[in-house]
Amino acid sequence: MALIDWDDKFSVGVASVDHEHRQLLELINETYNRMIRPGAEDAVKDFLGEIFARISMHFALEEKIMRQHHYDHYAEHKADHERLLDEIRDIMDDYEERKYFSEEQCAHSLQQWFIEHFRTHDARLHRRLD
Amino acid sequence: MLGFPDGFIGDALMLKFLAVETWQRGGRRVFWYIEKAFDAAFGPAINPFYHLGALLFYLFWIVTASGIYVYIFFETGIDGAYRSVEYLTNTQWYLGGVARSLHRYASDGMVALVLLHIAREFTLDRYRGVRWYSWVIGAFLLWLLYASGITGYWLVWDRLAQYVAITTSEWFDWLGIFGEPIARNFLSNASVNDRFFSLMSFMHIAIPLFLLLGMWIHLQRITSPRTNPPRAIMAGTLFSLLLLALVYPALSQGPANLDTVYGTVRPDWFYLSIYPLIEKWSPGTVWALVGGGTLILLLLPWLPRRKEQPAAIVNLENCNGCGRCFADCPFSAVVLQPRTDGLPFETEAVVDPNLCTRCGICAGACPTSTPFRRTIELNPGIDLPGFPVRALREQTLAATAKLSGTERVMVYGCSFGASIKSLDGHGVATLVVPCIGAIPPSFIDFVISRRHADGVILAGCTEGDCYQRLGIEWTKQRMEGRRDPVLRRHVPRRRVAAIWAGKTGGAMLLRELEEFRARLRALGPYHRGGTTPPAAPTPHPLEARDGAYRLG
Repeated sequence: MALIDWDDKFSVGVASVDHEHRQLLELINETYNRMIRPGAEDAVKDFLGEIFARISMHFALEEKIMRQHHYDHYAEHKADHERLLDEIRDIMDDYEERKYFSEEQCAHSLQQWFIEHFRTHDARLHRRLD
Repeated sequence: MLGFPDGFIGDALMLKFLAVETWQRGGRRVFWYIEKAFDAAFGPAINPFYHLGALLFYLFWIVTASGIYVYIFFETGIDGAYRSVEYLTNTQWYLGGVARSLHRYASDGMVALVLLHIAREFTLDRYRGVRWYSWVIGAFLLWLLYASGITGYWLVWDRLAQYVAITTSEWFDWLGIFGEPIARNFLSNASVNDRFFSLMSFMHIAIPLFLLLGMWIHLQRITSPRTNPPRAIMAGTLFSLLLLALVYPALSQGPANLDTVYGTVRPDWFYLSIYPLIEKWSPGTVWALVGGGTLILLLLPWLPRRKEQPAAIVNLENCNGCGRCFADCPFSAVVLQPRTDGLPFETEAVVDPNLCTRCGICAGACPTSTPFRRTIELNPGIDLPGFPVRALREQTLAATAKLSGTERVMVYGCSFGASIKSLDGHGVATLVVPCIGAIPPSFIDFVISRRHADGVILAGCTEGDCYQRLGIEWTKQRMEGRRDPVLRRHVPRRRVAAIWAGKTGGAMLLRELEEFRARLRALGPYHRGGTTPPAAPTPHPLEARDGAYRLG
């Protein structure tokens, strides 16, 4: 079962960005599948780490593209990236500690997180870069 | 021993490399004492020993500026030369005289600092391997520097100039490459003509220009070279030179007169130190001495050759061409080139093994080299085969596994910094890394948040004097959140310490480690980051979480 299905409306029209978004989405879906399957907790921890790494690299590339284009909202967008990475790290820690953690919540967060990432700055950025 | 091999050649190879190693070791000790004294006096940030190369550029500009001023008044002729310099020195002492003295003393300073620079890079072993390039170019620069200075002494046309002219001519005539002996020009006053002065002043301008070009080439293989010393050093140097110029101005030693042979002149010992030998021994002996010395200098990077680890490699499945390794490589060994694997990215990182010093700063900069990843995926976009990030993770886990107590410290030590092996013990785990900049900041996050240790220490080279040039600077900027990849905000900074103790700062490292452990003891066990728990009980957990994550 997929948490989020790829939708053409996710496409931002930049091949490299779309490619990474698809990769991320697959990874999130896979993580979710493991999360809801009992006995796969250890793997989930590593999958979250994997998501963290992939998002870090995705942001790093986006930031490079923004700098190349002298994107006017660079500082804001960059700060957003840092905040989102901090949040992913929080989700990871939460999962590890199992204290304030629920699978549905984590899945919900990932889903929200991903969709929001498109809707806000990314959309504006890619309109601007076209 | 865990971790990366010691940066200096290990004991097993000592016998083979006895000569170079012994000299380096002795030299390091001498420099250490002197540099500590300067550190104490000025602080490491403006210790001139850490800015010798930049200072040389600065002195070059002082010599150029003062030279231009002097040249305005200089007359290129057998009669005018001495007279015009005398005018500058005596009549216009407040400007011309000062300019002449600055010209003289700053060029003397260049010789002194160049020799220090060479000795220092040698003792710190920063001339072998891929660094041969700067070293070899530097050896040629030495010749250009001396040639620049010696042609300058000639121009004054005082008794010292006469001595320089005659001795140089004899020295070059020995080579037999000139159709007729140059010395014949200096047989008597009548044989020297004005054209000769035009030629000399042309050479005195052209050679320094080549020197400058060479200095630029010298820096071609390093990223963001420092060619300007800190302001305090610039001000201090200029002040000292001005003081010297006023208190002890450079003077001529009486007009030259080729019809007389002067028995005594006072040579400038910076530029003309070998001149007495040309007369005392023979031109041939001195050629052998200078030629042999240059040859040894040129061959030194291969006597013996440095044993190199394999150069960094790129793993394309984890590289999207974000360019962080490209931005951080201190030796311009990483470039971004068009994508070759068909993935829809524009660029990929490519390493030039001939430029790579195996410092691992690129892996430390890569956003994919985080230990939180699945181990099977932990092949960062760029990595050192000799000490991959995966090994860094495994060895961190192995080292910290045996720790116990409440002030457990993980010490990452630079292979060129103080030895950390002796610190290994009950509450302290150590791991040697090729450069402190090779540690991705998320390793610190990993060690602390997963409670593998209560705190992390980064022990590197002396501040301002990183063996890999930029390891310390990038590490600082990453810790302070000024450079990507940043150390994440939720990592408690009081549990992280950077100690720039250098190769010989073992005692300082030990002292700071104890202070750090005392601090950890006071802090108590680490309470994890993650979301702050909701303050009040809430009916539905989902709502509370939403607010806390602030998504979107």
